[in-house]
Amino acid sequence: MVRARVLAIALIAALALAAPGAFAQTAVTVKILAGQSTTDAGIENFISDAVSAKYPEVKLDWEVVGWPDLPAKIQEYMKSGLPDIIVGKGQDIATFASRNILGSISGKPYLKNVVAAAVGSGSYKGKDYGIVYNALYQGVYYNRKLFKDNGIAVPRTQAELKAVIDKFKSLGITPFETHFVDLWSIGNITMQFMINDVFNKTPDWGDRFRAGKAGFASSPIAKTVFGYDKLIYDNTWKDETFSLQQTNADGRLVQGKAAMKVSGSWSIQNFLDVDPGFDFGIFPFPNQTGDAKLIFEPNITFMKSATTDKSDAIDKVFTVLTTDKDLGQKIFDQTKTASTIKGIGPTFNNPSQKDIDVYVAKNQIVDANSGNLQLVWGGFQDENAKDIAAWLQGTETLDQALQAADSRRANSKP
Amino acid sequence: MRQSSLGRIAQLESASLVIPGMLVFTMGVIIPMGLGFFYSLTSWDGYTKELPWAGLSNYVNIFRDANTMKAWWFTIEFTVFNTIAQNILALVFAVALDGGIKGKTIYRTIMFVPCLIAPVVAGYIWLRMYSDVLPALSAALGLKTDFRLFGSGRTVLSGLLVVNQWQWVGYWMLIYLAGLQSVPVELYEAARVDGASRIRQFFKITIPMLAPAFTICIVGISIGSLRVYDLMVSSTGGGPGRSSTSIIYQIYNTAIGGRQYGYGSAISMTLIFVLLLIAAAQLGILRRREVQL
Repeated sequence: MVRARVLAIALIAALALAAPGAFAQTAVTVKILAGQSTTDAGIENFISDAVSAKYPEVKLDWEVVGWPDLPAKIQEYMKSGLPDIIVGKGQDIATFASRNILGSISGKPYLKNVVAAAVGSGSYKGKDYGIVYNALYQGVYYNRKLFKDNGIAVPRTQAELKAVIDKFKSLGITPFETHFVDLWSIGNITMQFMINDVFNKTPDWGDRFRAGKAGFASSPIAKTVFGYDKLIYDNTWKDETFSLQQTNADGRLVQGKAAMKVSGSWSIQNFLDVDPGFDFGIFPFPNQTGDAKLIFEPNITFMKSATTDKSDAIDKVFTVLTTDKDLGQKIFDQTKTASTIKGIGPTFNNPSQKDIDVYVAKNQIVDANSGNLQLVWGGFQDENAKDIAAWLQGTETLDQALQAADSRRANSKP
Repeated sequence: MRQSSLGRIAQLESASLVIPGMLVFTMGVIIPMGLGFFYSLTSWDGYTKELPWAGLSNYVNIFRDANTMKAWWFTIEFTVFNTIAQNILALVFAVALDGGIKGKTIYRTIMFVPCLIAPVVAGYIWLRMYSDVLPALSAALGLKTDFRLFGSGRTVLSGLLVVNQWQWVGYWMLIYLAGLQSVPVELYEAARVDGASRIRQFFKITIPMLAPAFTICIVGISIGSLRVYDLMVSSTGGGPGRSSTSIIYQIYNTAIGGRQYGYGSAISMTLIFVLLLIAAAQLGILRRREVQL
């Protein structure tokens, strides 16, 4: 009797000990290298929580770096072993896929959950390489109340923009908010101008530039585009812009000390942090022909590395990303960005959304990659920004800045 | 026979002490430098499997590249001004604290604390200081001083020098202080008996006796200045324009951001060469002076 009891207890204990191992699936650790913008900080925790809730056997091991440092990390890991997932921006697809760093995800069922335009942004030479998870809109953010109170209409042409600038100046309001201390902001606005004035008309301008058939110094329109930088500089706080930080500068737009800012959705986080009730809109920076479009930028992009042996686990991660509504809302609300995932959207109040909807309805939207895939950011756009800054500060001439851009021809291809 | 086996044992002992260090040095310094030199002879972009041979063209291009030359010029200016200013300030503070002033320990601690802060953080702190805190203070006091030193290419070097003094003067001051405290008191007593003034004592006893400290501080500060990078990352970003782009910043921008790994490696080889040259020259000159003393 005693022996039977002992045996029974031993059997139960053995079962209890064996059960978790018997039924649990083998744990998989997926290494992720994420090049983030400052607005994206913390989303990795949301994703880890959502993945472990649905697939407890999948563990995510994150390494987060600033997006500009992503190429350095990739170069390092190309020697020691790539991570399983790389997170970057839509424009990274061409750079990495062309160098065989990415693995194809064509035909995966989760791609059906991504809006068609964003699927296109995640592809290279006919193959899909990434999930473009959210989008930024770029244009001129404006203080809607200031425009309304002073009876100012949104400008569509350069002449109208100049009239708006004059009006605000006469009111003692700084027309443009800037923080040129961040050189990337100069690079960003210059590419916005290039997209609407150059790439909209000549989509292969970058290829022509590399072939020597087009150039900055020889092109009147490129000169005009650099001239827009000067227009902004002449109508902002010149003495401060090279030392004023973005948070402070954005605060001034919210407080009505400035009227407009050429920027992207990444500024919304700051606007709403300063005043959650701030009413702002967006319009495209007027081009020479009066047909400028609002710029859509494929932003956070999840890419599978070419060398991973954890494709199943990666599929699970990508499935969660494209199906988990709570996760999507958390990310879009935190980053204050637009969704590219079907049926999942942000819940935060975005006063500029009504403007975006109008431009989308009129098909006045253009993909930022139309420019970014013609002229690469690292080593070209960012270097041009430095020359533009030097020109604005009077240490270089306009011709020198334009010629400097021409001298980087060989390094302009993504 | 017995002697030769003892000699072998001694040789083995020596080798066992040297080999680990040599291995670490070879793997950590010699091999990366060799690889860097090899890459500098290619036009590799840092990504592809192919490493196209470029010969010495990268080295030739350095002299044609206005941006790299500008970065070198900025680095040299920063190094010269920083080495002079930091040595003078550190010595002045060390002499002051070596005297009989009250609260020496507190002053020493206050001056040393900034050394414990990472240069990236120091850069960020001073970006705020120059753009927010000091202008607000200036306005509150009704002053018209423009503190936005990082905001113009003409003042950014001064702004960075101020930050660097703030951060490192305390560290070098401690080295001078240690040197001052090791000067035998008898030398001053004898000089006083001979009627030497305090200024004469300073120049004839203190300065010569501080020669080893000068060697350490001058070499340390100048080498550190030539390698300045992280301070700019969080403060000026190398700007406005390129006005505060140091040579290391230029190497990073070129090799990593600009995907010109081969060219970036060539610039870094020139930096290594300059560092070795300066260190050898300084050590040679300063050590000779120490021996003369």
